[in-house]
Amino acid sequence: MLDVGRHPNIDLMAYSEVEKVEGSAGCFKVRVRRKARYVDEDKCTGCGACTEKCPTDVLDLYNEGHSTRKAVYSWFAQGIPSTHTLDPDHCRVLLGKKCGICQKKCEAGAIDFEQKDKIVDLEIGAIIAANGYTIFDPGKIAEYRYNDLPNVVTAVEFERFLSASGPTHGHIDRPSDVAVHMQIKELEKEGNKLLKMLARFEEKQGKKSEEFYETYVPGETDPDLVQWAGRYEEYLPVKSRLLELQKKAETFSTAKRLAFIQCVGSRDLRYYPFCSSYCCMHSIKEAIIAHEHDNATTSVIFGMDIRAVGKGFDEYKVRGGNKSNISYRRSRVAEIINGPNDNPVLVYEDTQLQVVKREEFDLVILATACAPAKGMKELSEILDIEINRFGFFKTSPENPLDTTREGIFVCGCAHSPMDIPESVAQASSAASRAVQTVTVTPEKLLKIS
Amino acid sequence: MLVIGGGIAGIQSSLDLAEMGFKVHLVERLPSIGGKMAQLDKTFPTNDCAI
Repeated sequence: MLDVGRHPNIDLMAYSEVEKVEGSAGCFKVRVRRKARYVDEDKCTGCGACTEKCPTDVLDLYNEGHSTRKAVYSWFAQGIPSTHTLDPDHCRVLLGKKCGICQKKCEAGAIDFEQKDKIVDLEIGAIIAANGYTIFDPGKIAEYRYNDLPNVVTAVEFERFLSASGPTHGHIDRPSDVAVHMQIKELEKEGNKLLKMLARFEEKQGKKSEEFYETYVPGETDPDLVQWAGRYEEYLPVKSRLLELQKKAETFSTAKRLAFIQCVGSRDLRYYPFCSSYCCMHSIKEAIIAHEHDNATTSVIFGMDIRAVGKGFDEYKVRGGNKSNISYRRSRVAEIINGPNDNPVLVYEDTQLQVVKREEFDLVILATACAPAKGMKELSEILDIEINRFGFFKTSPENPLDTTREGIFVCGCAHSPMDIPESVAQASSAASRAVQTVTVTPEKLLKIS
Repeated sequence: MLVIGGGIAGIQSSLDLAEMGFKVHLVERLPSIGGKMAQLDKTFPTNDCAI
């Protein structure tokens, strides 16, 4: 990533979108909209002083919504370019309210609330579409209750939990437990506010609130005392709820019994009939890393079969089973239901034993399908290329990287689901195909003449 | 040359083209490049860091 930012031949246009493509192979005219960041790219040093003081919290989509970021933000810590961006949907100033703290805090003077989108016209020889994929929304599969059960997460969410830079700093805290901790924090804040108010009354009257409330009879006429009693009555339920939650939180530990469900949305005729190819290995990897974090972790991978096709992949799978407490169960999970302590319970048929079983886990991870990227249709219209029946760019078996328009190539998951090594290999191939379009050879000249 | 998308595939294509001496414009929708790969902690089968 760093190399891209530094390479003299690469013009990095982040936070931009292609709007129009005209012309033909070798001489495309492309219009790119550089969206306003409201931060001057030349001045911003990426120090983060603006982010520190920004008062607005926004759900962080980089962490799949499991943490918050500020309205002025960098997409992730090591992001290239490191230029910060103002979120126009949440920034108070851009929404017409009073604020501007970031502007005061920025020593480089980079914040510019007046910045406008810029339109750039480019002359292009060949185009490579590498716009990637979207993760299938598991909420569509009602029986897995992804939207209702807090401890059912997607593989990418779990990836963020495992990451030291993620929302749980690498500890596998269950989302239901994190929610309780958040509630405790909120209640503590509310309780402290009420306690401060009560302290004022206590000081004035020289009495503890409890003592006062014991002797307090409704119908009191002194407005001060009525108010005091009112505040105390507000405080009591907060206190009892807080104690209850704190007691509950004492029993929490990190997730140790993990279940991975394969083919969520893929190899499923209701959604995507194709195999997403990388998810088997992805689940094994996550189970191995989880075991590295905590040796007491056990994982069960539920799948029709484990597709470990690739250099060193099968050995990896076997090693996971031998050394990382992973068991592979041939099964298609029928349903997930909520058990005690928010533990998800899987209902499935063990096809080898031919028995229907119920098993309780701490956390369930869904290996979601690789779906076509959002905006694939719009981009295909802009580029004037066709998409196939699944929504990926259409190619032919003879020229697997050529789209339906000459001079436009495709690579990575915009082509079809694939893992990182395959994406990298395809990207290099697409680059050489693109070069062939723009290089003049004697044969080509002969053709023209 | 124009590369649309700054994920692992787009990054690799851009670097290859740039190394060959072509001027590359890399367009990314989000504020920074890296794509889905940047969200990954480790990669299989070597458990190397993704970034």
